[in-house]
Amino acid sequence: MNKRWILAKAAAVSLIALTPARAADKPYDGVTLTLASQNDQFATVLADLAPKFKDATGINVKVDILSYPELLTKTTADFVGHTKGYDLLTMDIVWSGQFAESGYTVDLTDWIKRDAAEINVDDIYPVLMASLGGYKGKQVAFPFAGYANVLAYRTDLYSAAGLKPPETMEDMVANAYKLTVPPKQYGFVANGQKGPAVAQDWMQYNNEMGGSILGADGKPALNSEANIKSLTVYKALFDKAAPPGAADYDWGGREESFRQGLAAQMQTWSVGAPGYFSAETSKVAGKVALMVAPPGKGVPKKYGIGGWGMAINADIDQKKKEAAWLYIKWLTSPAVHKDFNLRGAGSYLRISETHDPELVAKFPFLPVIDEVFVHGDGEYRPRIPQYPQIQDILGTAVNAVLIGNADPKKALDGAQTEAAKLF
Amino acid sequence: MGHALNGGRISGPAVAVPGGPKISHRRRRQIFLVLLGAPALIYVLAIAIWPLAQGVSYSFYDYSLLRPAKTAFIGFDNYRALWANDAARNSLVTTATFTFAAVSVEFIFGLAIALLLWRDGLFQRVCLALLLIPVTVTPVVVGLVFRALLAADYGLIGYYFSAWGWSNPRGFLGDTATALPTLVVVDAWQWTPFMALILLAGLKSLPTDILEAAEADGATPLQRFRIIILPMLLPAIFLALVLRTMDAFRVFDIFYSTTNGGPADATNVLMIYAVKQGLEFFNVGFASAIANLMIICIAIFSVAFIALIRRADRRANEL
Repeated sequence: MNKRWILAKAAAVSLIALTPARAADKPYDGVTLTLASQNDQFATVLADLAPKFKDATGINVKVDILSYPELLTKTTADFVGHTKGYDLLTMDIVWSGQFAESGYTVDLTDWIKRDAAEINVDDIYPVLMASLGGYKGKQVAFPFAGYANVLAYRTDLYSAAGLKPPETMEDMVANAYKLTVPPKQYGFVANGQKGPAVAQDWMQYNNEMGGSILGADGKPALNSEANIKSLTVYKALFDKAAPPGAADYDWGGREESFRQGLAAQMQTWSVGAPGYFSAETSKVAGKVALMVAPPGKGVPKKYGIGGWGMAINADIDQKKKEAAWLYIKWLTSPAVHKDFNLRGAGSYLRISETHDPELVAKFPFLPVIDEVFVHGDGEYRPRIPQYPQIQDILGTAVNAVLIGNADPKKALDGAQTEAAKLF
Repeated sequence: MGHALNGGRISGPAVAVPGGPKISHRRRRQIFLVLLGAPALIYVLAIAIWPLAQGVSYSFYDYSLLRPAKTAFIGFDNYRALWANDAARNSLVTTATFTFAAVSVEFIFGLAIALLLWRDGLFQRVCLALLLIPVTVTPVVVGLVFRALLAADYGLIGYYFSAWGWSNPRGFLGDTATALPTLVVVDAWQWTPFMALILLAGLKSLPTDILEAAEADGATPLQRFRIIILPMLLPAIFLALVLRTMDAFRVFDIFYSTTNGGPADATNVLMIYAVKQGLEFFNVGFASAIANLMIICIAIFSVAFIALIRRADRRANEL
């Protein structure tokens, strides 16, 4: 009896001793975080990784996968109504200005400073840290999915035509004309559809040709000489080297025309690149290479950066904010983020990732992404609060030029007048 | 405790409530009726009237969800800006053009289909069932399907039309001259059956004795249609027209999924413009002004159609 009593006491003491240890290990055990995620390649991987995070921390992450407009509308409604429906959300690079101005998300600056060693900030590409959530001294989101703008081209068509991969934008344009053999083969394709599709693609080419959306004073300079020149080149490319329907293409149409073998080259986001190399999704698998998008002659190396940061809703209570920060640190930690990409997220962040032998063996184009991130420019689409309106104005003006409704100067003059009203 | 019915009104002796004022039986009945209607009234107030009033109120403010702290009363400035804005005026004209064209096409073909299916038979019943298919498809899906079919470079229809030179090389949706007419055809594909069903229901309800008498009197089919069928069908016609006009004026899904308002501004209807202002730029005040303009336009159409329905009803009853 005495022995039993001693054993029972020992068991009780052990239990008491263990309980605080468990609570200290998992202080957020039982917390549920709801994450509003853009329906990009990373979304399903986020959902797949959630159980691992629960095992590690006891925190349950529910991933709500939404389309782009849905994501923006639902999260904004959540912020305005203070309904705390979402604890975490993925934030597009171009929303930084809006989010910073409205104060809807937590400023992570102090937490990043506090946990810099744990995060290993030096391993994160500086351009991604600055662009995917950084805005005028605030860090309204933490980067987790960096996309690189790259040139995808058909190696078979290039070698058949005796062409070398382009070193400058001028080479790329000349190659596009040489590779155009209608109606089965076109040398170039880009988005032409009115709205964000054509605006975003043209801003990319415009940047590479030395144009800029904002002037040195931070105000719109849409009808600058460089912009008019670049739009003239863009229009000529559409007229002479793009599939006839390209003026109505959005991202889906553009990608499809490349994967179907209709277009010989296009600039695109690196996130979709694995699809070109798979025979299941592409008719041109084995005949494609990626390279950095060539800048115009005399234009410094500036490669387009896009992607997503992870933001925390400023309305939620402190415990949830800390749990959400723990999730961000976990997701972007080297080991988990590598796993994230091995599972096909196509969303790079760390220097160690693009040099990781296992990842490079699986995705041989990673050195191209590294080069883009090293010389990356996240500002060619101005990350200012007025960006959505400017994008819309340009989306109408550039499309009008492509379909022959206006000449580049007239269209950009009109766009400039409209954009100036926003400031 | 009897009560009397006087001139349609119910009256009765007053009832004394202990410790309170006397409430007449009539008043109690009125309260009872009000209570009976209260849930429906509250529902309508909460679901329809309150948001509508909020929308009207917002339209007088410079209210952006991204700058809620800077919200300011600006009177009719949003409406003035709407009137001064070329894009907004163009959207109004595009919407009115689309509505008129789509409803006209749907009415003409809907009436023809309804007349063809009027008589009962196996063929008519099978056709009627098949007619319902387009109506059941979600408009966004209709838009996406037609977008794929009409794509000039790889669409099942668009490729051949472009290759044979029957369309602009950019395709029907890529040309400012053909984009809106093409969307009228797409809308008509989906909604003509709906128009036909309403008109068919109207035809089925016509009294057969009058038509048989006219036939016996030697009236030709054209005379029967012009003098008897059409006037008696007018209530159904106006009902179909008012329903489709209201719907066509606020069209969004098909336009959003096919052209997103382009090329240039050729298909930029009011709803696309309002959604962009409200849900992309979060200019709630300006978007509310656009929505209110749409409500006013739809209200004018509806009142005009309802007046016509009443007149037609009276004429039909006189026949």
